[in-house]
Amino acid sequence: MQGRGTSTTRVEPDEVLVRASPTGSAGGLRFYLTNEFGLLVLILLFGAVFAVLSGGFLSTFNQFTLWRTAAVNTVIGFAMMTVIVTGGLNLAVGAIGVCAAMMCGWMIQALGVPGPVGIVGALALGATLGFVNGWVVVKSGLHSFIITLATMSIFFGVMVYLTHGESFRNLPPSFAEFGRTRYFGVVSPMLIVALVAGLLLIGLYRFTALGREMLSAGAKPEAAELSGVRVGRVFILCHMLSGLLAGVAALLLVMRNGAAIPSMAGQLGQDWLLPAFLGPVLGGTLLSGGRVSVVGTFLGSALVTMLTSGLLLLRIGEFWVQACLGLVLLLAVLIDVARKRYLAHRRMV
Amino acid sequence: MQVVMRQMQTDWFGPLAVTVLAVAIIGTAAPPFLSTLNVQVLLFALATNTLIAFSQMIIIAVGQMNLSVGAIGGLSAIAFAGMMQVWGLPAPFAAVLALGIGIAAGALNGIFIARTGISAFVITLASLSVFKGINSGITRAQPFYGIPETVKAFGNNVMIGPLPWLILPTVLVILGLWFLLNRMPLGRAILAVGGNTHAAELSGISVSFTVVAAHAISGCLAALAGIMLVARLQIGQPSIGDDWLILSFAAPVIGGAVLSGGHVSVAATVLGVAIVAIITQALVLFHIDPYLVQVVLGAMILWAVGVNRWRELRIAKSAKRI
Repeated sequence: MQGRGTSTTRVEPDEVLVRASPTGSAGGLRFYLTNEFGLLVLILLFGAVFAVLSGGFLSTFNQFTLWRTAAVNTVIGFAMMTVIVTGGLNLAVGAIGVCAAMMCGWMIQALGVPGPVGIVGALALGATLGFVNGWVVVKSGLHSFIITLATMSIFFGVMVYLTHGESFRNLPPSFAEFGRTRYFGVVSPMLIVALVAGLLLIGLYRFTALGREMLSAGAKPEAAELSGVRVGRVFILCHMLSGLLAGVAALLLVMRNGAAIPSMAGQLGQDWLLPAFLGPVLGGTLLSGGRVSVVGTFLGSALVTMLTSGLLLLRIGEFWVQACLGLVLLLAVLIDVARKRYLAHRRMV
Repeated sequence: MQVVMRQMQTDWFGPLAVTVLAVAIIGTAAPPFLSTLNVQVLLFALATNTLIAFSQMIIIAVGQMNLSVGAIGGLSAIAFAGMMQVWGLPAPFAAVLALGIGIAAGALNGIFIARTGISAFVITLASLSVFKGINSGITRAQPFYGIPETVKAFGNNVMIGPLPWLILPTVLVILGLWFLLNRMPLGRAILAVGGNTHAAELSGISVSFTVVAAHAISGCLAALAGIMLVARLQIGQPSIGDDWLILSFAAPVIGGAVLSGGHVSVAATVLGVAIVAIITQALVLFHIDPYLVQVVLGAMILWAVGVNRWRELRIAKSAKRI
């Protein structure tokens, strides 16, 4: 609703200018004004501050858990990013993720299938639920906000009804093992999963026709339709990809916890919403659609995880951390607005 | 005949028909549904849920969304309870201050949205976690128990028959909001901005003032709902507001609100709240798993937006024919 209305018309001219401006004298400066560069500076800055203020921050164990959490947050961010591309939202990421995780637990514990089959089942369910979202959004022509708000309630309700809110704890030991493994003392295999997912997404958006179609359909659906892109089908695929990635994130959490827990994303999966939006928004993905930054999403999620970890180490109190994260999101969008105005201004002069 | 046809086109006709039908069917199938006690339970639910729905409806009217209604309501609720327990303030004074917090929180949302031009979704997502964070930072997830007896009595006693005292502020708000949206310049400005921001601006309406005012009203209503829930639950529960989001959208949408703004109906939204309350109650009466309430709520949103869309298309088609 909002995205289609005012913000599209306001943001886009600046955005077009930024993209269209030739790499002239302002080229070097523009690199330093990108989200990715800013995030990198902030990560290093906050890393240094936390390392000085708190001795435990740079310990291998803390770095291991930090980047393991960052991996989960990154994949959650990717799950939202793939739908933001279309100019829509997916409020149901958390609900889909929990459904997928419970599917995996149920298949392994109740049906007795081996672990990999359970994982495939979970990812298939994630993609299917994403398909449902996409299909309803495209067929009804309504904004994805209200559709995914409704499906979030439906998916989560059905999940709790079927599982009676019980966890599945009898998972293969290899699952918990995967969550505990440390390469070189700090690198979790979960981080590698997140990085591989990121590389695949970069490949998708950079080098495949489908990825380009997703971007063009998100930027200007009408124009894309006229140039032969089947916008409806592409949007459904975006939602399926989102569901799949939500499933991946949920499986990573299952491996970290060693169990599939219905409450792992909070009431209706709402606890995932903030990390899901923080990563892409900090990373410079346009909410009105058509532009993504996979690297930015990764860096954004990493920054948020680092702030959380550092604030907890500084004993700010875990209850205040959520307030701080909200302020970070607010600050980030404000800086983004200032940056765009500055770029537009320079271009005009 | 023509009068009937015209009435059928209004927003409140469909929800009213559904309400009457649901009451008739459930009342026949399960007579305890119409017992005094049950009607009283329904009215208690209606009293607070209507305010929650209104706090979202006023934002839908201006063409935006407010994810932080629950967080504002929760923050005001624990502020109300906390000021009475910790500072020993008298209840009316604490209520006014809590309402002030709600208005300030809503106005902050509005100011950020109007001044920066960032979408309401992102701003209210951020403020949701700020307000919720302040809430849990103050309470550390522990409820306030020191609620005065008068407040508890106000939240749980009945006036006459099944009518609870709690319904009184809600009725006043219903009348006030109807008057605001239909008779006052500010209300008309809110609908105009929601309908077409650009046209509203050109006709001399201050868009940013209108947006800020709408958000302040939304915050005030959310705060009132939070305060009334404290009175009803008899404790200052930090989790008040956590489950408002779906409900706050469901009722206005069932009441025919257009999500792109400019078109809401106070009466139909109240009926939307009633439908949700009746169906929730029916699930309990028929011993259906309470978790399915979520599923039913989601399905009702989908159904309602589908019907609204169909009505829109039909009206557009008949307009073309003329």
